[in-house]
Amino acid sequence: MTPALNAYVMLSASLFAIGFLGVLLRRNTLVIYMCLELMLISATLALVAFSHFNGTEDGDVFVFFILTVAAAEVAVGLAIIVALFRARQTVQVDELDSLKH
Amino acid sequence: MEQIAFTLISLFTLACAVGVVLCKNAVNGAMCLLLCLAGIAGLFIQLHAYLLAFLLVWVYAGAVVALFLFIIMLLDMQGGKPLRIRGLQGAAGVVSAALLIVGLNLLAVRGKLASVAAPGHGVGSRLELYSDQLLTTYMLPVQVMGFLLLIAMLGVIVLSRRTDAAPSK
Amino acid sequence: MNPVHTAFHVLMAPLISAALITLFLGKRGTMASAVSTAAAAFVAVFALSLALGGERFSASQEWLRFGSFSISMGFKFDDLAALMLSIVGVVGLCVHVFSLGYMHDDDAKARYFGGLSIFMFSLIGIVLADNLFMMFVFWELVGFSSYFLINHFRLKREAAAAAKKAFIVNRVGDFGFILGIILCYWANGTVNLSELGEASASSHLAYSRLIPLLLFCGAVGKSAQLPLQVWLPDAMEGPTPVSALIHAATMVAAGIYMLCRIDVLMVPDASAVIAWVGTLTALYAALCAVTQRDIKKVLAYSTLSQLGYMVAAFGLGSTGAAMFHLTTHAFFKALLFLGSGSVIYGCHHEQDIFRMGGLRSRMPATFWTFTIAVAAIIGLPFLAGFFSKDAILLLAYERRPAVFAVLAFTAILTSFYMLRLWKIVFLGAPRTEAAGHAHEGGISMTAPLALLAALSIVGGYRGLYPRGYAGILSLVPESRGSAHLVILLTSLAVLAIGAGAALSFYGMDGTDALEVGFPGLFGFLNTLQRSFDRFYDWYVDRVQQRLAMFLNFFDLVLLAGAVVRGLFAGSVEIVGFGVRALHTGRLSTYVYWFLGGVVVLWAFAAGVL
Repeated sequence: MTPALNAYVMLSASLFAIGFLGVLLRRNTLVIYMCLELMLISATLALVAFSHFNGTEDGDVFVFFILTVAAAEVAVGLAIIVALFRARQTVQVDELDSLKH
Repeated sequence: MEQIAFTLISLFTLACAVGVVLCKNAVNGAMCLLLCLAGIAGLFIQLHAYLLAFLLVWVYAGAVVALFLFIIMLLDMQGGKPLRIRGLQGAAGVVSAALLIVGLNLLAVRGKLASVAAPGHGVGSRLELYSDQLLTTYMLPVQVMGFLLLIAMLGVIVLSRRTDAAPSK
Repeated sequence: MNPVHTAFHVLMAPLISAALITLFLGKRGTMASAVSTAAAAFVAVFALSLALGGERFSASQEWLRFGSFSISMGFKFDDLAALMLSIVGVVGLCVHVFSLGYMHDDDAKARYFGGLSIFMFSLIGIVLADNLFMMFVFWELVGFSSYFLINHFRLKREAAAAAKKAFIVNRVGDFGFILGIILCYWANGTVNLSELGEASASSHLAYSRLIPLLLFCGAVGKSAQLPLQVWLPDAMEGPTPVSALIHAATMVAAGIYMLCRIDVLMVPDASAVIAWVGTLTALYAALCAVTQRDIKKVLAYSTLSQLGYMVAAFGLGSTGAAMFHLTTHAFFKALLFLGSGSVIYGCHHEQDIFRMGGLRSRMPATFWTFTIAVAAIIGLPFLAGFFSKDAILLLAYERRPAVFAVLAFTAILTSFYMLRLWKIVFLGAPRTEAAGHAHEGGISMTAPLALLAALSIVGGYRGLYPRGYAGILSLVPESRGSAHLVILLTSLAVLAIGAGAALSFYGMDGTDALEVGFPGLFGFLNTLQRSFDRFYDWYVDRVQQRLAMFLNFFDLVLLAGAVVRGLFAGSVEIVGFGVRALHTGRLSTYVYWFLGGVVVLWAFAAGVL
């Protein structure tokens, strides 16, 4: 018996929530970024599941784009983090608060 | 049979996701992310999206996570600090994550998703269908993606330039 | 020449000198000192000529008019003003000449002499003023000059703090002063001194206990009475001639002068308060002087004590006695300060008396003039201080015996600490090398000392004063009969007890015998000295600052925000405060707001909101 759609959606939701918890509570910028990627992955899982249960391939094709965007985003984001590290010598997010009022 | 596989793989994925969040060392976290991706790839295969599963492993696990590891090793090898759930911030974090999990799952349970029947055989296992869609319906996004990648490349080059002061004599 | 014009020239000469120095002679110290001393000489000569010439006049010119209210500037030159002006002129000239030698090597000579000139201008303004508003204007100018001169060594933090303290404490007193002036105007319709005198003579003066007390507040600030005496010891951070001129002879005496000017407004209750304030100040200052190591601080507390005597004399009802003591005090206190300046200069800018000694043989001119001044202040018979102090003691004996007892005890303390100072500085062997190499300062420093010493000797014989001063000096009480004997014996006794105790008690070994022998008493006296400063520091820190912060918040947020700029603009500003606080710079905060937004959208979409 194949698992129903809601199982996949529940899994995707849980992964998203776990990633969100990581973004909120971790203090290392790189780990925050990885949790962000986790959230993206959960979204792709939901898309593929829906596309499979609907019988079309739109969702799958969309995952292409998500993958591409994720890759570009990771590249640029990590470049920013490296530049920030060069300027501030730290990647702990609570030490990077110079934009405060 | 599929149910058991699904259950195992999903539990494994969840455990690795929790591992990403909880690991003290960033490298360990990246490894957990890798395993998480492997689990997701397994789920994709179960959903008959074989191409995507391979793409996930090649692109995501192979390039993106590798890049993550490079940068982690470049910047942050001091060991790292653990997750700190203390004080107002910790409480708010836990509450919001709990709300999300509970909320989204309720949505999934109460919604009409359980009654959707699985189709017989997977649709997304043939490359022709993908390319057909990509080059007709989704032509615009493909071009935008190209543009996006170009910009990303330029951005990364600019950002990673050295900002030298006057050269030392 | 018309005496009004002479008086005007006397007033303007130092102002012109100050203007010249500020505008043209800023870098040329020698030229500036010459200009300023010339102005001081001009003032001295013409002040004496006016006083001795016997002309007494008033002249006035309207300055500002607001409807029925007008402020005028004018001169009131009567006997009192003549005496004060002569003192200011003579002592001012002596200090200027002394400064030529003392400040010879200073870098900022021009600034110093400019300050001296502006001070002379302001003080002559107070002396000649014929109404209280004009006096207040020049009062504030004198306060500014004092601030400017105390702060001469600008780069020293203590000097800047002392100048600030002097100005602020004076300001506190001036607050009472201006209230008194306003109340006087409101009650009597005029602040012109002559008109007040006429109203008093014809019994049209409004009876008020508040007016004289409020006006006395100004004297409390300027003449450093309790509780505003804290600025005077700190003011010794200024150069020594400044201490001599301003903080011994003339400016602090301006408070007494002002009191004598408003004598017509006094009522018995106010006089009693004034007498007791003066007496307690005299006692407190004498107790503080006993433990001081710095020669200038001893003299500062001594000045405080003698000012207390003058204020007490005024409070006991006699302007003559107060002015007489003011005159003699101006002479011997200026001499004491200038002598100490000579000593400091000779010992290469050393001010600790326990690091001096043996200067008797090395600086003979200074020694003899200083001895004359010490003898005068402790009331040695036949010197100036004897007569003026006796007049005050007589007054106290006849009118308030309690005050007499306290003043007599204070006289013992005066002899005690002055002889202590004299012995430790001049007698014995030099305790440091600098003292061993001490030498006199040159004619510009010794000549004024000699002149002031002569005045300290003859200044007590009222018969010797020229006819011009007879008016005020006749007001000094004379003793008759049994009272005469009592006072004479008392003054001799206090002198003997105090001097004998000091000479026998203090040794020559460079330590303070009181500190060593009676440490408890020494500690108590030290605590007493610091108590006022400690209390004021606590008050400013705990009470005043908190009130100021509250008022600042109230003003900034509520008044300027909501009320002044209108309700809308104000509330926009307050909302702006709130929104600005959202920018914490922390990533997690932004993510929470993000989550909040998602929840809201979600609720919206789900139909809950």
